[in-house]
Amino acid sequence: MKPIGKQDAPRGGPLSPATVRAVLSGHGILGLAFAAIIYLVCLTGTIAVFAHDIARWEQPDAPSITAFAPGALDRAVRFAQESGPTHATLYVSLPSLEEPEAGIIAYTPALHREWAADRNGTLTERRTPIADFLVDLHVALHLPRAWGGFIVGLTGVALLSSLMSGILAHPRIFKDAFHLRRGGTRRVQEADLHNRLGIWALPFHVAIALTGALLGLSTLIVGVLAMLLYRGDTAKVYGLFTEAPPAINAVAAPLPPLEPMLAEARRRGGSATPHQLIIERAGRTDARLTVSSERDRLLVPQDTTIFDVKGNVVKDRHPADLVLGTRMLGGIGQLHFGWFGGLPVRLLYGLLGLALCIVTSSGVTIWLARRRDRGRAVPLWERLWAGIAWGQPLALALVGVTGLAAPAHDGLLIWIWMAATAGSLTIAGAAKGFDASNGAVRVRRLVAASTLALALVYVITRPIGLSGIAMELALLIGAGLLFRHPATKPRREGHAAA
Amino acid sequence: MAALVAVIGGWAGATLLRRAWADRLRERVGLIVSGWTVLAGTVLLDAALVGRVKGSALAVAGIGVAALIVVFQGRTVRAARAGRSASLAPEPLEGPSKAWRGWLKALLAGPLGMTAAMGIAFCYATWAPGDPRTRIIIGGLLMPIAWALAMTWTLADQRLLRSLAVLLGTTVAGFTLAAMRGLV
Repeated sequence: MKPIGKQDAPRGGPLSPATVRAVLSGHGILGLAFAAIIYLVCLTGTIAVFAHDIARWEQPDAPSITAFAPGALDRAVRFAQESGPTHATLYVSLPSLEEPEAGIIAYTPALHREWAADRNGTLTERRTPIADFLVDLHVALHLPRAWGGFIVGLTGVALLSSLMSGILAHPRIFKDAFHLRRGGTRRVQEADLHNRLGIWALPFHVAIALTGALLGLSTLIVGVLAMLLYRGDTAKVYGLFTEAPPAINAVAAPLPPLEPMLAEARRRGGSATPHQLIIERAGRTDARLTVSSERDRLLVPQDTTIFDVKGNVVKDRHPADLVLGTRMLGGIGQLHFGWFGGLPVRLLYGLLGLALCIVTSSGVTIWLARRRDRGRAVPLWERLWAGIAWGQPLALALVGVTGLAAPAHDGLLIWIWMAATAGSLTIAGAAKGFDASNGAVRVRRLVAASTLALALVYVITRPIGLSGIAMELALLIGAGLLFRHPATKPRREGHAAA
Repeated sequence: MAALVAVIGGWAGATLLRRAWADRLRERVGLIVSGWTVLAGTVLLDAALVGRVKGSALAVAGIGVAALIVVFQGRTVRAARAGRSASLAPEPLEGPSKAWRGWLKALLAGPLGMTAAMGIAFCYATWAPGDPRTRIIIGGLLMPIAWALAMTWTLADQRLLRSLAVLLGTTVAGFTLAAMRGLV
């Protein structure tokens, strides 16, 4: 504990006090305009970091393997080729010690199927509606990809701009970097939390906002670039980053044995380990098989060996052969979602993602508290914000309960989410006895209860494995923290502030 | 291992900086330099341990979490006093605003900021040296940055005609230059 110092007026920084106030004004306008959507995207993004863990949790009977038995890979691919949509491209994730699972996705733009493979190559349909729902909500808000991606990308830009203006608007941001006061006026308390979380997580938040904005806006950027340079032919822009397809030859031809190809890719890759196998035009003479291999020290696989239908090597590329742009393109998604480096990285990303949710929420709370301090309170907006800030975790928990109870009805989840969102906003907005502070406490308890319900439904509907126990524990700890009443009484009286 | 290094290094660096900045009466340059050196060293060590990009990303996340732990360890707790603000932090500009200014600002920060940012990005993608793929990706990263800067600037600047002129000019110049050059 340290004595509370006096905060200085905005002097001494590179910007004049008037400019600082103008920037702060813009920061507030932007934050308020985008607060709800930034909060939703950040909250779902924080959970989406754990999408693979959630998928494993909701389908605990999916096989976990570290290697295929001899001949099993060919059996699995043959089954997927026969059972998947016609002309599908097959994406085969290969098992490893670090990622002990194998899967196949049979993909066409209109339809796709996904399986998990066991050691003998037997496939089990993947059914992970909760993880899929969360990722789709984060990436495109369940809207058509172009529109949803644009809105999420715009949200990323607004977040990036808020981070920039936030730094410019606080001339003493570094000197006050450790100054956190709890228990004083609500506004000062929230402002300290907002600024401290904002400054120390800043590099991470900038990276997340920037990569997220680029991922969301990529369709628009490519579209406009193509219109400007290639008369609207986007394939020409995408073609710069992808291999040209082989000449058409639709004559039927069986796939070559896959294990020798993996062995050849391993031999050519040196320290790289095969990670994924992509099979295009399976069953035809013009089939193409691409083995991507990963190295421990690289963010994404950068070793690629391409084979033809006879199993001959057509192309072989390694990190030294790739230009910077291609390497960056591969890494942007991984960097954004934290899907590298295992569980420790995901936990760090989760904590900093949560910090961003709190920064967003406290930003709105500061504005509301400032209005209240000046006798211009806006109780409706206070209630609505409590409805959003606590209503969204509640809506997501209800989606989780429904996904566990009725995994075959994945189309239901979006309706549950929409109903819970609309319901929480309506109740918060209309309920007379719901003021921002006591209402928030009630909704927080409701979120805790729904988290407990999620854990309970899991125990009832699923066999509990190791991943199940970890997730159940996380849910119980989360519910416990939410049930705990926030400390309003001072643990120790600090020195009088200015 | 690398995550542990990031958290421990972040905690050590943040603790040094906290000590330096706790003393408001004098500059403790030695502690400040040591703190930043430890943080930079943590990034370098992680980069050496698990790879440049992977290690740096991990270190940035680990340092962020560790520094927040230091912040929460050093928090001050006191009694609530209603109606009193202890903050002399800057206050935003407030005052009556005309609706048309609001709409114009939204137009400047939104669509016009976006097209100006695209102009800059495409100009970079077509005119900068290097492989076209690298130029497109760097241009793509420039676009959200330029748009965010345009948002920050136009929302803070009260001279709307100046903002309008700069954004329109950037859009026209950027797109024209990009179309003239093409992806060579």
